[in-house]
Amino acid sequence: MSSGNQRQAPLPIQIEDLTVAYRAEPVLWDIDVSFHEGTLTAIVGPNGAGKSTLIKTVLGLIEPSAGQVLIYGQPYEQQRRHVAYVPQRGSVDWDFPTNALDVVKMGRYGHLGWIRRPGVKDHQLALEALRKVGMEAFARRQISQLSGGQQQRVFLARALAQDAKIYLMDEPFQGVDATTEKAIVDVLKELKSMGRTVVVVHHDLETVPEYFDHVVLLNVRIIASGPVDEVFTPENLRRTYASRLDGAATDLELASAGVVLQSQEDGDGRVPNAQPDRY
Amino acid sequence: MNPRLEIVTIAAFVAAACALPGTFLVLRRVALMSDAISHSILPGIVIGFFLVGDRSHPLVIAGAALSGVLAVTLTEGLLKTRRVDKDAAIGLVFPVLFSIGVILITRYASGVHLDVDAVLLGELAFAPFNRATYFGLDLPVGIWVMGAILLLNVIAILLFYKELKLATFDPGLAAALGFAPTLIHYGLMTLVSVTAVGAFDHVGSILVVALMIAPPAAAYLLTNSLSRMLVISVVLGVLAAFGGYLVASWIDTSIAGAMATMSGVIFMITLLFAPEQGLIARKRLSRKRRERFAVEMLLVHLSRHENTATEAAENAMPHLTGELNWSPEFAGATVERAGQQGLIEKHGDQLRLTPKGRATAERVLMR
Repeated sequence: MSSGNQRQAPLPIQIEDLTVAYRAEPVLWDIDVSFHEGTLTAIVGPNGAGKSTLIKTVLGLIEPSAGQVLIYGQPYEQQRRHVAYVPQRGSVDWDFPTNALDVVKMGRYGHLGWIRRPGVKDHQLALEALRKVGMEAFARRQISQLSGGQQQRVFLARALAQDAKIYLMDEPFQGVDATTEKAIVDVLKELKSMGRTVVVVHHDLETVPEYFDHVVLLNVRIIASGPVDEVFTPENLRRTYASRLDGAATDLELASAGVVLQSQEDGDGRVPNAQPDRY
Repeated sequence: MNPRLEIVTIAAFVAAACALPGTFLVLRRVALMSDAISHSILPGIVIGFFLVGDRSHPLVIAGAALSGVLAVTLTEGLLKTRRVDKDAAIGLVFPVLFSIGVILITRYASGVHLDVDAVLLGELAFAPFNRATYFGLDLPVGIWVMGAILLLNVIAILLFYKELKLATFDPGLAAALGFAPTLIHYGLMTLVSVTAVGAFDHVGSILVVALMIAPPAAAYLLTNSLSRMLVISVVLGVLAAFGGYLVASWIDTSIAGAMATMSGVIFMITLLFAPEQGLIARKRLSRKRRERFAVEMLLVHLSRHENTATEAAENAMPHLTGELNWSPEFAGATVERAGQQGLIEKHGDQLRLTPKGRATAERVLMR
């Protein structure tokens, strides 16, 4: 990809010809996409489009059938420390006997390696991360006693404690309260200002232009990817959401996507509604 | 050491050794794996016994532990086919391995140092007769074996505490950070297998399960910290061992059976009386919530009709039973409580909000 003799720094994430299949059923098909330093990218697409699978494949949690993922030009296994991960909140058991601070400290484990225990420095970093998401008052709170949004912020703090160059987040905005949404947005902005690369699986099409500067429209294949103002177009969204043949959920998603685009064009910011206004 | 003390020591070692890996089984929601493993080690024990002629030989323990891990591997293999559920996969694998062990015993080993009764219940009472001398100490083999296994568990969990915790709480992150959760899983299952093999001689293959699950399940209700849960599990397990021994000598019954029963009793007591998670505490808490909510409803009701034409009728005692659907007793008790908290005043049948009551009503409505 580099031309001439100008030396080009390797990209944070470069995905080449990636295909992932579950039992010979393709979930991701021939994905070619790269993520640039200091960008905030949303991955959007209908349910079953392979958004989480893409993130998990980057993290080496899923073995691809073909293709490769390079993190700063090398396989993920050699770059683990540079990548922080926010899994879906529902992926863990919040009744586990531990407190918020302890969970955030888990973000330090990668730096510690095997056997070594977190020390004073890790403790400080974990507290600092909790403070950044407005959760320092809950450090000693049992995690099952936190609200869903607070749990999400603990996960975000854990990723911050990882102190990475790349942040991969799987639906951090899913079902959170307004305070948490704002906390996450603030953290995203801060990460961007620090030149970090952030990739977020996102569900809410309406907020994409507000929160992100880049977007990947995914539906098993890459439909489009690039800067939001170039790529996040009605036509591309229609292609992303309409190319699937399965029923009601898709129709609904398409409808909400359509309304978002309308309200963008009108610029009136009204609450999205699946039904067009008849009066 | 006198034989009684030796038996109690072995029992305490067995209980403590079981409680440690058992804690992680409970937290990983794979408690039944202990059942599978404790049964699946039987063919390993029998074959090892044929080859070496001594059940406590380290090679026999290792071989038997291997057949426990084999059970885990087969179960995971069945799960991967996605044609059976987890409980079915466990239920399919371990009876096969266990029955192979039973067939081998009844066909080739009956009358030797292995019989089906011992397999099911162990023989703790005879443990002091089988002795060995190491480091100049003449102790029952059971103390040496279980002491070594307990030490192994303590060291493994101390060393890999962080890894076990992460892989149990969030296997996805553990994998992403390079902590090989599958390796940790099999490591833990190896500990469970080795522990089950050692405990097998003393409490049999069924009661191992009780000692691995009941103390951690009780400890889970008593603490919010993993390290404390491990310690409490061990303490409760040892208590069950002591209690079981006392009961067994008192009514002259199987020590292992009494130990397992005691661990069940301890769990039941904890389930009822645990300070936060216990059923009684939960019940009390929900009653308190109901009472507080009733007071809040009363305040809101009073504030909405305050200074209206119908105030006299609405904000009177008799009206509450109709409007809020309360029994006269509950209405009386709620009014009483609100009065005690200085939220309302009673003027005959009329109820009036105090300034504090009015403020509370507003706050409730804001919520």
